[in-house]
Amino acid sequence: MTMDQHERYEENVAAYLLGALTEEELTEFEAHLAGCELCRLDYQRLRVAAEALPRAVEPLEAPDSLRSSLMATVRAEARPGSVSERTPSLLQRFRDRLGDISPALAAVSAAAVLAVGVLAGWGISELANNGGVEKTYAASTRVPGGSATLTVPEDRRGASLTVHGMPSPGAGRVYEVWLRRGSTYVPAGSLFDVGGNGTGSAAIPRDLHGVDGVAVTREPRGGTKQPTEKPVMTVDLS
Amino acid sequence: MPRTKDLQRLADEELMQLVQDGDPRAFELLYDRHGDAAFSLAYRMVGDRVAAEDITQEAFLSIWRSRERYQRDRGSVRTWVLGIVHHRGIDALRRNFVHQRRRASAEGIEERYEAPERTDAEALRRADATTVHAALEMLPDDQSRVIELAYFGGFTHVQIAEMLAMPVGTVKGRMRLGLEKMRRELAGGVA
Repeated sequence: MTMDQHERYEENVAAYLLGALTEEELTEFEAHLAGCELCRLDYQRLRVAAEALPRAVEPLEAPDSLRSSLMATVRAEARPGSVSERTPSLLQRFRDRLGDISPALAAVSAAAVLAVGVLAGWGISELANNGGVEKTYAASTRVPGGSATLTVPEDRRGASLTVHGMPSPGAGRVYEVWLRRGSTYVPAGSLFDVGGNGTGSAAIPRDLHGVDGVAVTREPRGGTKQPTEKPVMTVDLS
Repeated sequence: MPRTKDLQRLADEELMQLVQDGDPRAFELLYDRHGDAAFSLAYRMVGDRVAAEDITQEAFLSIWRSRERYQRDRGSVRTWVLGIVHHRGIDALRRNFVHQRRRASAEGIEERYEAPERTDAEALRRADATTVHAALEMLPDDQSRVIELAYFGGFTHVQIAEMLAMPVGTVKGRMRLGLEKMRRELAGGVA
């Protein structure tokens, strides 16, 4: 790390703490932060002010319906036999992987780790490997109550996506599936809608070798060549 | 398995360990402790009740589903929770869906949702809110404006520079100066 490199990035510390960097700058800055002790010291010094900001808002009481809805979903997922109950060993593997990826970020707060996680679409659990025949992945979704699983055969030729609890994509719109390689998205050749109960499925007729993830967005009927919004769900295959 | 009454005596960090073990009662208590603060922040950002509920629910569901990500040595649970809410709020704002609803939504939610001061803890939080708000108010307008636009408005520094017709470097500089001043003010307020 040279002083020139530090000076190039030091003005980004405050913007980073406030969430004001663009997505491209965020990735670059976090890579820099991992290797720049001066910026990390700056970050630690200023974070107390940024973290105080939520405390400046007018305290409001959340509606009871929010609590009820949230806990209904959590209790359903916590039941024995549910997806999250079957995966403790795989969650540990995810935790270990997080440690391998971010040792250089050890001095940085949870907020920074979360910034990487949330903005990069992390939050994925690998569910099961049925004797090497298929692998099933749980999707991370931005939709309350929504969930999805992606089933990938061992040879990674194609996959199937099943969604539950998803709202209609809207009048004149469909859900479009994308394949992600690095930060590049290409159409997966699959569009789908959901039924009245929020259930839907999509077959992905593509080879998934070299694919880092799958994403779903809402697009105009007929689909588009590039995503027009941030994904409503993502699956990490890397 | 700890009784619910026993759970209430646990510190947030100990409660999180039970959440990480998949205990929904521990998670429920975690929500009871931090849900109002989360909703308050979400509403401050998006100015729309439905959107604030969505953001709060999404944030807590992501906490539940990715609960193994919490690491005790990386900051307080409350800071972690509110950080997740803040990122979800920025996400919603930058999708631009909420900006439109915000313009159309009726005001007055504060009257219906104002948190009553039922406990000493809530009274202390309200006093703390006043302190932090005062620290923000003490900043020169040009610094508090960029901080509010960034943190609560979800705008990038590039967008703020365009809105305020100033160079990007100036925006970043004012963000830094503002946070520095707030830091000193808050440090000076500690007994």
